Amino acid sequence: MKNINRRKFIERTALAGISIASAAAVISACKKMPENKELGLPPILRGAPKGKKLRAGLIGAGARGTGAAINFISAGPDLEIIALADVFQDKIDACRERFASFNLPIPEENCFAGFDGYKKLMALPDIDVVLLVTPPQFRPDHFLEAVTTNKHVFMEKPLAVDPVGIRSIITSAKKAEAIGLNVVTGTQRRHQEDYIATYKQVKNGAIGKITSAKAFWNQDHVWFREREPGWNDMEYMIRNWNNFCWLCGDHILDTHVHNIDVINWFIGKYPERAIGYGGRHQRVTGDQYDFFSIDFNYGNGVSSHSMCRQIDSCANATGEIIMGTEGYTNCQNTIWDLKANVKWKFEYPPDENGNQMNQSVIPPYVQEHMHLVYAIRTGNYVNEAEQTALSTLTAIMGRTAAYTGQAISWDEIFKSDMNLGPSKLEFGPVDMVFETPIPGTPVISTVKPLYKGQII
Amino acid sequence: MSCHIHPHADNSWKFSTHYNNSSGTIVHCVECHLPPEGHGYLFAKAKHGLKDAYGYYIKDSAKIDWQKKKLLENAITLVYENSCIDCHQNLFPVTLSVNGGNAHLFYVTSKEPLSCINCHLNVGHYDKNAVLHEHDSSFGVIITSDKPPFIESAEVTEFRDFTETIPGTTVSFEMAALPGGTFYMGSPKDEPLRDDDEGPVREVKLSQFWIGKTEVTWDEYMAFFRATSSQGRTEDQVVISKNADAISGATPPWGAPDQGWGKGSRPAITMSWHAANIYCQWLSKVTGKKYRLPTEAEWEYACRAETKTPYFFAGDPRKFTSESFLRKLLGPDTTTIASYIIYNKNSGAMTAEPFMVKVNPFGLKNTSGNVAEFCSDLYSEEYYKTDSLRTNPKGPARGLEHVIRGGSFKSDARDVRSAARDYTRTKEWLVTDPQMPKSIWWYSDCIDVGFRIVCEVDSSLLK
Repeated sequence: MKNINRRKFIERTALAGISIASAAAVISACKKMPENKELGLPPILRGAPKGKKLRAGLIGAGARGTGAAINFISAGPDLEIIALADVFQDKIDACRERFASFNLPIPEENCFAGFDGYKKLMALPDIDVVLLVTPPQFRPDHFLEAVTTNKHVFMEKPLAVDPVGIRSIITSAKKAEAIGLNVVTGTQRRHQEDYIATYKQVKNGAIGKITSAKAFWNQDHVWFREREPGWNDMEYMIRNWNNFCWLCGDHILDTHVHNIDVINWFIGKYPERAIGYGGRHQRVTGDQYDFFSIDFNYGNGVSSHSMCRQIDSCANATGEIIMGTEGYTNCQNTIWDLKANVKWKFEYPPDENGNQMNQSVIPPYVQEHMHLVYAIRTGNYVNEAEQTALSTLTAIMGRTAAYTGQAISWDEIFKSDMNLGPSKLEFGPVDMVFETPIPGTPVISTVKPLYKGQII
Repeated sequence: MSCHIHPHADNSWKFSTHYNNSSGTIVHCVECHLPPEGHGYLFAKAKHGLKDAYGYYIKDSAKIDWQKKKLLENAITLVYENSCIDCHQNLFPVTLSVNGGNAHLFYVTSKEPLSCINCHLNVGHYDKNAVLHEHDSSFGVIITSDKPPFIESAEVTEFRDFTETIPGTTVSFEMAALPGGTFYMGSPKDEPLRDDDEGPVREVKLSQFWIGKTEVTWDEYMAFFRATSSQGRTEDQVVISKNADAISGATPPWGAPDQGWGKGSRPAITMSWHAANIYCQWLSKVTGKKYRLPTEAEWEYACRAETKTPYFFAGDPRKFTSESFLRKLLGPDTTTIASYIIYNKNSGAMTAEPFMVKVNPFGLKNTSGNVAEFCSDLYSEEYYKTDSLRTNPKGPARGLEHVIRGGSFKSDARDVRSAARDYTRTKEWLVTDPQMPKSIWWYSDCIDVGFRIVCEVDSSLLK
């Protein structure tokens, strides 16, 4: 998805969401609830229930952050954004302006710029919920602080960029669980009504036993920023975060993790091993790859072919396919038998004109926040951090397999001490030497990525 | 209330966090030493109750080796995991540190059996020497000696005993010259209490070599640690690929590797086989000689010192052991063996300094007992049966673990016989290391293995 499309989408969501919030919030599909719960599935909601006012702080006020904040207030009644934190003042200003335009002003004294802004925000006494929407490099520290200060959490995928971060997330998730803090993650598909219905079909044996899978996120090139005069190394890299592995985790984490997460969800476990390829030839900035092709081995002969590419004018598409002994599915809305006849199709609701739509009424971005608010207000506990951390780790395992050219086992990556960040987060020159990974060389398994020469 | 016969345990309990804590909660004996109800409570109560009553009426409390009971392998039979969990239901409190988080994550995902007291050994009975698991980065930083350091290593021009001096330090140690020769390696079938892997007896020929008169001491090992230690983690492959000009040494250990028993001339312990091997490389570099770990054959040759008996002194393992039914009744004979060997009957469950024992006929101390010693050979149970090399054998080509020899302060008399063999247990010895991946330099769960070094006789050395 190009950035421009996403922005348009957010506008649409905002308008739709606000109109829903003003209407009476209803929990629909009450009858399905127990079944969803038994299968560990989120409830399908048309709005979050009424309840005590919830005040949220947004950490990471860029495009996705501002979008997530709007999604939050769109999820139901009495939901407010009262504080912002971001590394950059200009991102805070833009986000505040946006909220001011909805007539929802955010007080200036509740806005905190800089690397430690998140700490100041979480120290505010009135915050119930935090939205963690920075580049994933920072997520583990932010999540730990949120749990330490008793906040419910929404956080975007991926949850970290390296195994040290993943273990931090899992530990914090267990701490959150112990004291009843709800955590929802931005996996989208796990909250989509159509995916959930398809999952139930597969669980009921609609495709028999799962034998193999494929997952793909092939798209045009994504955004990048070239260095501007006056930017020091750190400022440049964070403004161009989507192109540096230590900040982004590479696009196998940033986007393809959605597909990988679906495969893990449907198969019901995590892969034992990964072998794969990747390479880079058209990127202009940063140190990441243009494409990955990974074989995830789930044991017992079950494999998933995972591919992702960011190159223009190619056969681009995103999605998943899962094969079984009696049929196959796209995981989203359709099940075929082995002769390619459609066995089952998810029925989307009709639009105002009575025509069947091709997506759910509530976008998954908003459904996630409805789920979080529902959990907080009704006491139906939710904590998705560990499962999303493990899907992120699956992507890290694939990335490491491609970067190194080696077979990487689950145990190895789970226990790895790979820690990609610089030792200190501060503006100024960064003492990291960068180098695009070359398979067959052991660089990536060591503690720091080696970046050489000027950072571009 | 004291549990019958445990006055000593009662005191250490009152100093522990299960009695002396800020919340004022007191956790009583049976809350840890019996399982919770529904988990075999009655059976365990009957079992321990009978044992306790027996001890109370028959045994003398002052003669019970309490220190030994506190060793992990013994303590684990006296504390119930379910009882720990019954109270400590939240393994992830918000205040848990990063390392604590890693360790508990390891505990909840471990496929191997793992007990709370693997790490939290002293929480029920206070031990002033106990150190919690944390990176001890101040380890080895303080240099206490004010003697002038040696400038050069020992110059060796003939094959005789010499005193090595480590340049740049105040540390020296004694090396014994052992003449080459032929000996019978292993134990004959009629040797009491032997194991199968010790046979058949083979006639083995060895060239002359020097060997340390004692096990490598903390003073010696700390010289290496100070010269080479790195604060960060160092990957195995990096160490190996580096040449001798830049040896990367151990990372700081977790807790106190000397177990609070003191360093000095006590044998260095808890370092990994890999670390011992790198120590030899470093020592070779700074002294200009060829130091290495002994082969298994060299080790046994040095230990036997031309004897063919079970020990390098006269005596019958059957009389020294405390494991047979007869000896449990009559008590083991400790008179001769206790003057040569530090083993489970005289060690007080810790290492000893070399002056505590007499030398063997080659002038070596603690080959048997005190700490088990690493050899350079890989271990194979079948090696003696299959090997055909009879001159300077170096062990099997393949294997997973290395040979350790001599038994330790924890061993029964049977396991400190000259022919007794054992091997490293890398996985078990790293069970509670909270780091991921685990240290290649320190074993977190092995406190009774060290090493002794050999110096090769290089013709260029002897002019």
